[in-house]
Amino acid sequence: MDKKTGAYLCQGCGLGDALDIAALEKVAKAEFKLPVIKTHACLCGDEGVALIKADLEAGAVTLPVIGACSPRVMTDRFQFPNAQVLRANLREQVIWSHPAGDEDTQMLAEDMLRMAFTQATKLNAPTPWKEGEFATTLLVVGGGYAGLTAANEAVKAGHDVLLVEKSAQLGGSARGWTKVVPSDPPYREPQDNPLPALVAKVEANKAIRVARNATVTKTAGMPGKFQIELSDGSTHLVGAIVLATGSRPYDATKLGHLGYGASPDVITNVELEIKLASGKVTTKNGQAPKTVAFIQCAGSRDPAHLPYCSSVCCSVSLKQAIQLAKADPQTMVYIVYEEMRTPGQAEEFYRAAQDAGVIFMKGKANKVANGAGLTVTVADELLGQEVPLGPLDLVVLATGMVPNSTDVDAPAQEYGAELLNPDINPYPAADESYKPAPIVPTGGPILNLQYRQGPHLPMLADGFADSHYICFPYETRRTGIYACGPVRRPMDMAETADDARGAVLKAIQVIANAAEGASVHPRVGDLSYPKIGLSACTKCRRCTVECPFGAIDETEQDYPVVNPTRCRRCGTCMGACPVRTIAFDNYSVDMLSSMVKAVNIPDEFDEKPRILVIACENDAYPALDMAGIARHQYSAFVRILPVRCLGSMNLLLINDALSGGYDGVVLMGCKPGDDYQCHFVKGSAMAKERLSKIAETLKSMQLEPERVTMVEASIADSARLPKVIDELVATFDTIGPNPFKGL
Amino acid sequence: MTAPTPSRTYDLSFARYVYDHIDGGQRLKLCMQCGACSGSCPIGTQMDHGPRKLFMMIRAGMKEAVLTSNTIWNCVSCYNCVVRCPRQVPITYILHDLSALAIEEGYAEAKKADNARFAKAFWWSATVFGRTDERLVTARYYFSSGLGEGIKKGMANQAIALAMVKTKRMHLGMPHKVKGVGELKAIVAKAAEIQARHGKEG
Repeated sequence: MDKKTGAYLCQGCGLGDALDIAALEKVAKAEFKLPVIKTHACLCGDEGVALIKADLEAGAVTLPVIGACSPRVMTDRFQFPNAQVLRANLREQVIWSHPAGDEDTQMLAEDMLRMAFTQATKLNAPTPWKEGEFATTLLVVGGGYAGLTAANEAVKAGHDVLLVEKSAQLGGSARGWTKVVPSDPPYREPQDNPLPALVAKVEANKAIRVARNATVTKTAGMPGKFQIELSDGSTHLVGAIVLATGSRPYDATKLGHLGYGASPDVITNVELEIKLASGKVTTKNGQAPKTVAFIQCAGSRDPAHLPYCSSVCCSVSLKQAIQLAKADPQTMVYIVYEEMRTPGQAEEFYRAAQDAGVIFMKGKANKVANGAGLTVTVADELLGQEVPLGPLDLVVLATGMVPNSTDVDAPAQEYGAELLNPDINPYPAADESYKPAPIVPTGGPILNLQYRQGPHLPMLADGFADSHYICFPYETRRTGIYACGPVRRPMDMAETADDARGAVLKAIQVIANAAEGASVHPRVGDLSYPKIGLSACTKCRRCTVECPFGAIDETEQDYPVVNPTRCRRCGTCMGACPVRTIAFDNYSVDMLSSMVKAVNIPDEFDEKPRILVIACENDAYPALDMAGIARHQYSAFVRILPVRCLGSMNLLLINDALSGGYDGVVLMGCKPGDDYQCHFVKGSAMAKERLSKIAETLKSMQLEPERVTMVEASIADSARLPKVIDELVATFDTIGPNPFKGL
Repeated sequence: MTAPTPSRTYDLSFARYVYDHIDGGQRLKLCMQCGACSGSCPIGTQMDHGPRKLFMMIRAGMKEAVLTSNTIWNCVSCYNCVVRCPRQVPITYILHDLSALAIEEGYAEAKKADNARFAKAFWWSATVFGRTDERLVTARYYFSSGLGEGIKKGMANQAIALAMVKTKRMHLGMPHKVKGVGELKAIVAKAAEIQARHGKEG
């Protein structure tokens, strides 16, 4: 079927008053010769929608271009079966952010339409990738509380599960604990450990296949088609992977300054838990301890050890202190803390511990001495003096947790560690006191990914397998692999259970979407995927290296090969490709470049500069929409080109803009770097890097490097961006008109 | 039973005594040392320690320092702290009962606490007459620190006293008494007997 583009111009929301609609129709008619051009007083109303629908059904139009409000609104109204729709943002980004009836506003509206009509000529309906069979089984790695919960929940949702546990028994860290921190109201008493019941449930479930004493030796393929090889030699096909390998306690032998090792009566919270579980807490003399001190943050929040807070140690000490105080009310129990951190409902638990007579000392435990009994020297902040606390029968060090994002028992592999991009670390490099944990913790990779970008899962700061705690929970930087529980961030059992459910939902979503050829977060449902024209490929490997999700592997002949269901459709590969041979059906360098060129560039005597704003459609573009909603005004000389991610910005666009006569180019995208906000992890970082390399090219073109600049924008910047745009327009004005204008 | 005197810091015996025997002591367990009390106190600057620190000293077993501090005497019962305490600790009651404990165990004398002496003069007037006689309470308080000191304080406040007489705020005749002073004395004596019988729990 031939492509027939139709123009539908809305006169509602003040568009008809602010703009010369007849002139806009003329653009569609005279310049683009569109077969169908219609205007309506309220296009999103039933009548307007019916108008478009009738044309589509009659076959008069195959691709409607709607000149009305932002593509971010009215999406449910302007949605038609089996038809692509394009939107020209005449409301938020034209009449709401520029004066009505103005010549420049009209020119902006006309250019908006030109860009949309041009885009229509380059747009093809995407054909989804659905080759072969797709597996629906879930692989859960780790048989602790997180993994067991994940397995149980996945089965409830109708998926088979392969549960891999390294040890001989299910249960993980929590195995053997009798009481745990309360998660049910009134949150005052230690609760029974929910683990044994869960283990029994999982073992009884026929849909869960448990592999004990097993590790994953190989993970190849992609979501929907992961090929798994286990250490027992078996192979499996799974759709998605939940990583629930948990954590291990921090190595207390490194805590000599807190007396560990000096006396058998200085123990860790984990060791005390074992004693509590045995029902008998005794010191080396075989007596029940009469005086006990807990030292919080033992090796935590300490740059020399674990720089982070493990979040559960305070609650665990409260629980253990209550258990000791309840066992013998005459026991003197102290908790030496710097900050009492009681997330969730644990504040009530804190009160219960105070009620039980536990004494809280705020201050840092500087020294633990072993003489006639143990003495802890505390810099007591509340008394304002150094207090020797003792003699004590037992000192408990509340140690934190270390994520099992690698297999510590496996030897480190020679290959792969260097491929983990150290580009994510939320601590500023300027802070010299902070020494981040190594990017690759000791040991071998857990999943042994057969990926171009190495066998490891990329880690966030401090070795946790995550990509963004807040924005993309559970998502690792490998599509289809979701982390939950303490391997993702420190958490208690109740949080772990919730986390496992969340990760399972993500895994189920990827299984369903992969089978449909559709993308997962953040471009959920996108059916396009990158296609590489191998005839032009120079094997430069930039796409395989820069892909934030490791979606592109290499063949033995070094050609790139896309694993479509690993792809998140950001287009970073397309932005990276120096020969521009990577394109999506509905998104390509050619399409963007044509849109850039579609804008009318007035000659320099008109004194109407043109600035190209390449805006990330995740944050910058909505922020500009919101600027319009708030009626913040900014220069009408800018032309906004939305892109999937700044990572998909190919340098050709800048070249085309400047050689085409634009006076400046502004890249507007998410914050890159250590505390990135990029929805595709490092797309904006890649754009920034590419930008750093074009100054020389510009100079060789006799152009000022200041003509191209990058602006960090967040979703909350709607008030700031108009000012930034106006300042930049003023700057470009002082540089003067682009000498290539009119050539 | 007298309150135990801990021999080392953070011995809990004194704290536990306070929890069990001082009015409001059970709530004191829940103090989380936020300092809202000390921050709210209008005369905090007149105290050796704010209530927050005093409570921490109780936990630390610093019995003597607690009972000889002027904090327990300088509280003016404005109840600002009680109203603001996020853990509902009845701070005012605790301070007042601690001052009673200080008198009982002789710490008030040792400090020659000014406010303790004033409280004693007040109590004397209240139990003897059933009323407070401004003139006699003041005189008794002034002279409790010695003859010379008493005369000096009296002379210093002469003008105020005369002005008060003039405006009929202080009278010069026989002290007023409640009806049935004998019954009042019987009530006080009975209360003392009950207290002696039951200890602080009475």
